[in-house]
Amino acid sequence: MGKDILRNLRKDFLVEFRSRFALNVSASFAAIVTIAISLTAGGVPFPANVQAIILWIIIFFSAMNGLSHIFVREEDQGTALFLRTAVDVDSVFVSKFIFNQAFMAVILAVVTPLYLFFLQVRVVHAAHFIFSIAAGGFSMAAATTILAAMVAKAGGKGSLFTIISFPILLPVLWISVSSTSAALNAAPPAGGSLLFLLAFSGFISVISFLLFRFIWLED
Amino acid sequence: MSTAPYSLTGEGLAKKFGRSALFKGICLSAATGESLSITGPNGSGKSTLMKILAGIQKPTAGNVDLVSGSSIEKTQWLSHIGYTGPLVNPYDELTGLENIAFAARPADAGEQAGRLLETFGLGPHRDKKVKHYSSGMKQRLKLILAFLNDPPVLMLDEPGMNLDSAGTALLHSYLESVRKEKIIIIATNDPLEEQLCGRTIKLG
Amino acid sequence: MKAISAAVKSVYILMPAAIVMAFLWAPPAQVLGDSSRIMYFHVPIAWVSILAFIVSGIASILFLADRKGSFARLDGIAYNSAEIGLVFTVLTVITGSIWARISWGVFWNWDPRETSIVIILLIYIAYFSIQGAMAHNDNRGRIGSAYLILAMITLPFFAFLVPRIYPSLHPDPIINADRTIFLDDRMRSTLAVAIVSFTVFYCYILHIMNRMMKLQNHIEENRHEAD
Repeated sequence: MGKDILRNLRKDFLVEFRSRFALNVSASFAAIVTIAISLTAGGVPFPANVQAIILWIIIFFSAMNGLSHIFVREEDQGTALFLRTAVDVDSVFVSKFIFNQAFMAVILAVVTPLYLFFLQVRVVHAAHFIFSIAAGGFSMAAATTILAAMVAKAGGKGSLFTIISFPILLPVLWISVSSTSAALNAAPPAGGSLLFLLAFSGFISVISFLLFRFIWLED
Repeated sequence: MSTAPYSLTGEGLAKKFGRSALFKGICLSAATGESLSITGPNGSGKSTLMKILAGIQKPTAGNVDLVSGSSIEKTQWLSHIGYTGPLVNPYDELTGLENIAFAARPADAGEQAGRLLETFGLGPHRDKKVKHYSSGMKQRLKLILAFLNDPPVLMLDEPGMNLDSAGTALLHSYLESVRKEKIIIIATNDPLEEQLCGRTIKLG
Repeated sequence: MKAISAAVKSVYILMPAAIVMAFLWAPPAQVLGDSSRIMYFHVPIAWVSILAFIVSGIASILFLADRKGSFARLDGIAYNSAEIGLVFTVLTVITGSIWARISWGVFWNWDPRETSIVIILLIYIAYFSIQGAMAHNDNRGRIGSAYLILAMITLPFFAFLVPRIYPSLHPDPIINADRTIFLDDRMRSTLAVAIVSFTVFYCYILHIMNRMMKLQNHIEENRHEAD
């Protein structure tokens, strides 16, 4: 199975690298929104929790723009059946999961510094900040992998992905905002939020793994 | 992949989509060295029957079994079957060779790949992206991808589609050469391809 | 089946009884007076929302687990229950807002219960969006079921999370409505009757919807039998 996962990962990275469409859309979205907010804010920094909220809204919608791509592309380009015959179902899930995590990591790496710079964010607890962003992003990518598969099978059109992701990601968003906000405040932050995010990620990853075959395999 | 002979049997196969029945009561069997063709007008369910025989779709009624020594579990079937059809498309952004590397399972597939590329005349095009292939070249690549892992069962849905006469000749001669070691199932409307096979199942 | 059909028809007795009891028999509450009577509707309606959701979830799990398809149309049952659930969830929000306005002066508070019910509403919206997007797709049952199960499973995380988050973002609600209303015997029994009535009402509607679905399927499948 490990070989199959690598096989599919290598293929996905090659295909995505050559077209780069989804990454461009997500990154452009993040950049545009950040700059727009910074411009219209007129140079006055927002309070810490508002900064945290806006950051996560940008991350969320950047993710919504790109995280369904990895499955929707297979359906749109007609390669889903080829993939179905070439790689077993569990390996498909794990490789797409890893890809989405990598994709999310790239989005975070682009969005976060841009954001810190343009919105004059003062990070008080750097380690906690980084862990909050990383844990929140990981949870988001973990939960949305199977949702991307569902949306792809449902035709992948319009805002369906955002609509179905939102109820599931709400706990993640909430805790990520509160955790990030704590990292921007003077008081020492508690580690409970990070534990929550890791527990959530672990749990949803396992459930998704078990449910994936009902999405991917036809009747 | 075991060296015991394979046998594929289907009994009472029926498929309904929503409310409309596509076919029912289909019975068939094929063993290593035998071949089968499935014919019928467009929309009669040839592709669907192929998918059922490959274990990709479930029949509404009846069952299908793949046996080699002992019965093989359905989730494993695709590692014994070389499947291709109009809806099985290679990746446009990858070259022919990269698509082959993706689909190759056993470690020695590299040699097999080289030979197949030469046999089907795609050697000079191996490093071109598939989006630059003509439809005939794409079809040849699809066939290579199905034959690649030397599977004991071949299920080819409209294998001659888009092939010119040279391509068709190559396909027929390849099938002749492997006929004795494999089960070959072809879904087609082409009477020539139908003749390649032993028995015919008519749908529709 | 006949027994169920008979049992659910008891709603024709229970519901009027509940309404009469709620408006006439139960005494007005101490603080809120006659306005408190909304409790006899809000609590059962909220309960049915949860019940409908749970039934949908269980039907979805059974549907996916039923590999041989021996139980007919479990995905349809999940869908029907979800439809009822959606209506009742909206009604819960409406009756809850009215009650909140009466008790605390504001329509909406984002307290844990209100938040949970909004989450369920969002899940229903997502579920029906999937169903709508796949209207002519045979895979609809599996994918809708998988989504409902996934969403249902994330709810405990919410339940754990919400009380922890709220102290930091909002002041505690001063009054927790259910605990500060003193229920005497008549009020308690009215509430019990109301809860039972609405539960039977839910079963009744679900039963009718399931039968309709079965008949519709039968008609579609045997469309040409008379020919």
